[in-house]
Amino acid sequence: MNWQGELNRYLASAYKNWLISRRNVFTLFELFFWPMISLLSIGLLTRFLKVDGSMVSFLLVGAIALTILQVAQIDVAYVLLFDMWSKSIKNTFIAPVKSYHLVFGAMLFGIVRGSIVFFILAVVSSALFGFNFQEGGLLPVLIFLAGVFATAAVIGITVCISILTFGQKADVAAWSLSGMILLISGIYYPVDVLPPLLQTLARAIPLTYFLEYYRSVFIPGPHHLAIGIILAAFYLLLGLFLFDAAIERARRTGILLRLSE
Amino acid sequence: MTNKPIEAAGICKIYKSFLGKKATVLHDISLDIEEGEIFGLLGPNGSGKTTLISIFSTLIFPERGSLSILGMDARRDSKEIRKVINISTAKPNFPWSLTVRENLRYYGMLYGLCGCTLSQAVEDQIDAFELGEFGDMTFENLSTGLKQRLSLAKAMLNNPRLLFLDEPTTGLDPDISIKTRRLIKRIHQEQNIPVLLSTHYMPEAEMLCDRIAFLRNGRIVAMDTPRNLKKHLGLGERIVITYEGSADIAALQSLPGVLGIKSDTQRLEIVIDRVEDSLDRIVKHFCTAKILNITIREPDLEDVFLELAR
Repeated sequence: MNWQGELNRYLASAYKNWLISRRNVFTLFELFFWPMISLLSIGLLTRFLKVDGSMVSFLLVGAIALTILQVAQIDVAYVLLFDMWSKSIKNTFIAPVKSYHLVFGAMLFGIVRGSIVFFILAVVSSALFGFNFQEGGLLPVLIFLAGVFATAAVIGITVCISILTFGQKADVAAWSLSGMILLISGIYYPVDVLPPLLQTLARAIPLTYFLEYYRSVFIPGPHHLAIGIILAAFYLLLGLFLFDAAIERARRTGILLRLSE
Repeated sequence: MTNKPIEAAGICKIYKSFLGKKATVLHDISLDIEEGEIFGLLGPNGSGKTTLISIFSTLIFPERGSLSILGMDARRDSKEIRKVINISTAKPNFPWSLTVRENLRYYGMLYGLCGCTLSQAVEDQIDAFELGEFGDMTFENLSTGLKQRLSLAKAMLNNPRLLFLDEPTTGLDPDISIKTRRLIKRIHQEQNIPVLLSTHYMPEAEMLCDRIAFLRNGRIVAMDTPRNLKKHLGLGERIVITYEGSADIAALQSLPGVLGIKSDTQRLEIVIDRVEDSLDRIVKHFCTAKILNITIREPDLEDVFLELAR
């Protein structure tokens, strides 16, 4: 097979997610409504609490990170969720694809959608709350986004693994895991305020480090970006490995058949 | 290991529940499929047909047994195998909001088709399965028959060397079923690819299959050509005689070649080995009666099925 054919396998899930999204009016809610609700509620809270400019940046960075994380992670999870909901999972896994084919395309689509959401939120937060997302230049923004997208991919892969391991009811993981991130990875407060056990968990999440890094642009302070990058790369590789293992297990247990019935 | 389309020996499949309870759904299945033949898996619901076809198509793995598909090991070379096989499933489902054309394009991409080859393959299948006027209709708006045609079209996208059809006419109206069977026959004749087809419709198996394996409770209980199955199971031809008056049923039963007699009022159904050897002798026993009608019926797979399902 030529390289274009192999590339098309990677792009297939991006193509499918794009087609499904463009026909789904609720995509607009995912892209505009909920992100705006999230940003505006946090932005207005900062006004009510009369916090200073640096704290506004702190909170808005958290709100933006959580929003694009949710958009991008659900795009990766959709690669199986759409198949599961339409009971067509059998057709996908009868084709010669591996986990990385499915994840790459879905992640690509998630990056595009997440970037659109980021751009909108950045513009709106600049206009309404004076938040300048490019204060440290373009590089910190790109590094921050890369960290959010990598964390989103890991969460999306975890959702896929849960579905293949526990069956249909595990789709609740798609919405629950980002809630866990909200709680422990320092979205709205520094992880130092967490109890020691949760702090340890927070330090195992790459997003914690990318948030610290990007916030250090607005509120100078220490960060450990390298650890975040290493963790993100490690989890991505581990996630793909476990996703393939979950597919193999689903072939052994026959859950792939049950998910199609 | 030869290059037969399918060589299976001792295939077992066990499902375990969440609590560890085991259920064996396939027991020691062994069968070979030859080049160019249509092989039928026949059996009642729950007999293990879909599980077996899912194992042969590498969707799921067996617990035990050896399986070679097109000369490749089904476990070790599963990715290579998936490139050259395809399946049309029972009650097919595809992403609902994608059109016929988009669905074919998406699955074509998963099979590594690209550029002009992909576009051509999609349009070829749309033409071959007469889906042209429905090409821009979303899956959720297709009729059951059209969904089945889309499923067959998808199954041909990658020019498979081995085709699996899992209950391709289940749930279809009779006229659409006939059309679908003709399509399958045509695919097979034009491409000369081996086909493994599961069904619980006897006429379908009789019309399409060169050989048949009967599954019951996860076991193969018979495997042969439709003709030989009928012969080996002693399912003789049936002579149904309606008459007025009296017939010597006891004498009829003792005739050589008579396998059984069912008697109703003025109606006898006689099962015999060979009509040509016995008919004149049977008729002689109606000398005191008036024969109103005689019909002769060859056994069909329905009879085989009923015999084996007992």
